[in-house]
Amino acid sequence: MASTSVSKGQILSLYRSLLRTARQFSDYNIREYTKRRTVDGFRQNRGLTEPSLISAAFSEGKSQLQVAERQAVVYSLYAPDIRSVMETNLKGKR
Amino acid sequence: MASKLLASNLRRTLAKATASAPALRGFSTSAAATASATATEPYEDPTGEIRMKGVKISARPLYLDMQATSPVDPRVLDAMLPYYIGRYGNPHSRTHVYGWESEQAVETARSQVAELIGASPKEIIFTSGATESNNISVKGVMKFYKEKKRHVITTQTEHKCVLDSCRHLQQEGFDITYLPVGADGLVDLEKLRAAIRPDTGLVSVMAVNNEIGVIQPMEEIGQICKEFKIPFHTDAAQALGKIPVNVDKWNVSLMSLSGHKIYGPKGIGALYMRRRPRIRVEPQMNGGGQERGIRSGTVPTPLVVGMGAACELAAKEMEYDDKRISGLQERLLKGMRSKLDGIVVNGSEERRYAGNVNISFAYVEGESLLMGLKEVAVSSGSACTSASLEPSYVLRALGVDEDMAHTSIRFGIGRFTTEEEIDKAVELTVEQVEKLREMSPLYEMVKEGIDIKSIQWAQH
Repeated sequence: MASTSVSKGQILSLYRSLLRTARQFSDYNIREYTKRRTVDGFRQNRGLTEPSLISAAFSEGKSQLQVAERQAVVYSLYAPDIRSVMETNLKGKR
Repeated sequence: MASKLLASNLRRTLAKATASAPALRGFSTSAAATASATATEPYEDPTGEIRMKGVKISARPLYLDMQATSPVDPRVLDAMLPYYIGRYGNPHSRTHVYGWESEQAVETARSQVAELIGASPKEIIFTSGATESNNISVKGVMKFYKEKKRHVITTQTEHKCVLDSCRHLQQEGFDITYLPVGADGLVDLEKLRAAIRPDTGLVSVMAVNNEIGVIQPMEEIGQICKEFKIPFHTDAAQALGKIPVNVDKWNVSLMSLSGHKIYGPKGIGALYMRRRPRIRVEPQMNGGGQERGIRSGTVPTPLVVGMGAACELAAKEMEYDDKRISGLQERLLKGMRSKLDGIVVNGSEERRYAGNVNISFAYVEGESLLMGLKEVAVSSGSACTSASLEPSYVLRALGVDEDMAHTSIRFGIGRFTTEEEIDKAVELTVEQVEKLREMSPLYEMVKEGIDIKSIQWAQH
């Protein structure tokens, strides 16, 4: 495990990157899930104090970010022309 | 089949052609050519509408049919894609790196699957899905031990593929006991015990029911099977990744698993086969001897990798998903019950998987309700029987009245379902049920206090 400790700035930056990538998903359900899972995951790990556990969680988050970045592109390549009923209704209300 | 497809395409081209007159000329030759050329034409037309089976919708319905199949998790797809691109080797090729890397990936996936069910990787056989695993289990075991064992015990609420495999055995002279279930959908353990005979070769009971979501008392059934030294098979396709599954706790000898019910790819499944004490089967597929001769045929590396990734993910996310899905189930039931009367949840309410909510709506015609719910993708029961208008055999086995069995809807909640979707589904269902009840003379009579069951319908 990496012995170098992870700074608060790095963690916040990872959090923001994950949320930014989540918003790029063209699929309604995947987009909402990625946002929700990011927020819940960080909230769950908020109480971690052990540096080795923090850096393990951090590198896990990093690899998840890479997966999300790749998949956001894949999803955008095959995005259906027609959106989910959940999105069209939101638009209709406004 | 192909000609049917062509004809339907032709019809569509014709409809389009009438809109623009010049295209009509020379139809018999050129249009036929375009028809075959546009055989893969997407059903989404540029105006932003879906036209299919006479239904026109302007948005994709919200998906609440997770028991039929689940969407592939992007993390699973991410693991699979490399094996669709550069790493295309046959995992059985022993002479080059393409084969070696594929074999390694398959073996990693085997351990991922084994890990989730508390088994050894050596006990996992990859198949095309739970249907194949069920076939190997039921037919394979009985045919292997046919000299001494001539009897199988199963339940009336099993999946079609187990029941049909049993039918097949019956034609070959085996005896089958189809155990009845209680009104809650659960097997009576005493009845199981009483059904056991000296020549009973297999007990097959599914863990989580696909239609109503009830969880059978697996540990207790496993204990009884152990006592009588009878192999125990379970179809755990709907249980894997959703409730804790452990082959030793349940004492199963065989277990069928599926990839696409746990956010993995379709076309892949696995069969757990106990090594100690060893269970043996007669292969249903013969050939190159892959998967230790139990299931010949090239192992599909990308699909296997996907199933492995889905299992690993399920192990990691089970607690999180379960908490969420339970919350959504509560939200759904609360929403329905606060606005509608005469709704019944089918199957035991305590012993059930939260993601499967099977509800009957009294005084409503089931098909009309499903047709009215165009914006919600749900089904009346299992996908396999959703084409027939007959009420589900599972609900009939529970003793659900004919009229209630006709009005059942299964709401399947999953990892990607949102609160907003549940609210929307409740809103649309309530709206539709109220509309249908308003038209129903039966509902009017019930409101006036007439007991429908006491009515003497005129005989013709």
